[in-house]
Amino acid sequence: MTTVPLAAYVAVSAILFATGLIGVLIRRNFIIVLMAVEIMLNAANINLVAFSHYLESMAGQIVALFVIAIAAGEAAVGLAIIIVVFRGKISTNVDEMNLLKW
Amino acid sequence: MTFSLTLTPADLLLMLPELFLTLWLCVILTIDFSLPRFPKRNLAYLSVLGLAVVLANLIWFDRAGMTGTLFNHMFVVDRMAIFFKIFIVVTTILVILASIDYVKRFKFFKGEYYFLVLMSALGMMFMASANDLLSIFITLEFSTFGFYVLVAYLRDDPASNEAGLKFFILGVFAAGLLAYGISLVYGETGKLVLSDIAAAPATPGLIIGYLLIFAALGFKIGAAPFHSWIPDTYHGAPTPVTAFLSIAPKGAAFAILLRLFFISLAAFKPAWVLLLVLASILSMTYGNIVAIAQKNIKRLLAYSGIAQIGNVLIGLAAGTKMGGDAILFYLLTYLFANLGAFAIVIAVGNLINSDEIEDYNGLNRRSPFLAFAMLVFLLSLAGVPPLAGFIGKLYIFIAAIKEGLYVLLIVGLINVVISMYYYLVVVKKMYINEPVDNSPLTVSAPMQAVIYASLAGTLALGIYPQPIIDWVVSATMMFSHIVAPATAVAPSTALPFGG
Repeated sequence: MTTVPLAAYVAVSAILFATGLIGVLIRRNFIIVLMAVEIMLNAANINLVAFSHYLESMAGQIVALFVIAIAAGEAAVGLAIIIVVFRGKISTNVDEMNLLKW
Repeated sequence: MTFSLTLTPADLLLMLPELFLTLWLCVILTIDFSLPRFPKRNLAYLSVLGLAVVLANLIWFDRAGMTGTLFNHMFVVDRMAIFFKIFIVVTTILVILASIDYVKRFKFFKGEYYFLVLMSALGMMFMASANDLLSIFITLEFSTFGFYVLVAYLRDDPASNEAGLKFFILGVFAAGLLAYGISLVYGETGKLVLSDIAAAPATPGLIIGYLLIFAALGFKIGAAPFHSWIPDTYHGAPTPVTAFLSIAPKGAAFAILLRLFFISLAAFKPAWVLLLVLASILSMTYGNIVAIAQKNIKRLLAYSGIAQIGNVLIGLAAGTKMGGDAILFYLLTYLFANLGAFAIVIAVGNLINSDEIEDYNGLNRRSPFLAFAMLVFLLSLAGVPPLAGFIGKLYIFIAAIKEGLYVLLIVGLINVVISMYYYLVVVKKMYINEPVDNSPLTVSAPMQAVIYASLAGTLALGIYPQPIIDWVVSATMMFSHIVAPATAVAPSTALPFGG
């Protein structure tokens, strides 16, 4: 059985991170933006677990567990805020958030 | 590989302020839902009582020289951590007193408001002690979660909802950057504790990782070019939350930045000085120039806050122990001046229900006390002697001169002049313009206490700063390994600054 090299994990994680980053920057729907942020956090998780395996230190996996927990908390708070906004505007589009500006 | 977690009661004593606050906020929440008739105003006083006990505890730690680390160096108690915890607790006490009148505007969850404020304060106290990449990530998110909810607390106000959503999206985006940056730094070094990762050689992965972590912390402190959420969030959020958000998280984030730059990255100083110089110049110039055009006092203070953070970054760019001292001192002056200014915005907003600068016309006729206090706070923010802001700016600039950062000095001084303009426009409106409505304004007792405390702080730090300077100098003693500048330029000042 051949092992997957570390570089492959890091490459996948970098692609995921870039996907998330582009998603946050160009998508106009808040729920999709939230999903893109979750992809960014999971890119970090892949990195952490892969490094943890190759460096033979447990710390990375522990960090990954905490990142997952925090991502869940973020989703809960974020969806609650999106629901409050949706009640007032009947929209989850970024472009309609135009009340506050200079 | 084995893990051992040995805890003795003596170790847990180091966490006493946090443990007590955790217990206390559970008490507050329990009282709120089990005694529905308990007046909400008393919940505020109970919160202040708990925070006062925490403050006394922290002062005792500081006097007794209590230091140590817990949980494999994840949680550190040293004099700088205690300084920042005192900073956060004082801010929280003043914010809670200033919100008592404002809370009446909330239709629901009046009691939970105090719970969330205390929760965020607890998260920021942990931030001041974070000494490890994992604890930095957790504590940063812990303190921000409370703020996401607090910013969107005015449920029927679309502006507040929108501010909450914008804050949330940029906050979680910063969390994503931070997590990925931490994963890269961990991958390159295999360590998480800040002092352990210091020895690593600079590799591309490490540099990208640190840049991502810096970007995430830049979002937190609202330094340009990561400031985009600041004006909208400050404008839409309930004003006491804006006051809290504009001071406490910035202080806590600077605790992390100081540890990160002065401990982990001390060896790479020449590389990061340029980065910080650029961020500082950009923040000061952008904040001050855009502030001129503002019509809303909360937006004006938001942009002035971006500029003030640019000033604080000068101290970080200096990268010396004295720069660290100057940051601590400047943050204290910023605490009293900015909190005082926001207290007046809250008081005026409660009375006339408006935050537009136009409505401050003739404030002196309607309430000489409010107008005079606002004058003092704005002049302190601008840096006029003999107020606190002047000593803070002087201290920061001397730290920069000692390192030969003359560019920052020149840009900083130009910015002081620009900022003077928009602060004085507000002063002119308060003192010279005619009010539309002449009815006098009265200020409630807790609000008066906040304004008097901020006035006392602003004047005391400006007139007799020596005890506080001694305190901040001893608080950053851990950074004395960062050598003094080789070519020290003698500053032309009579003030005996340490460092």
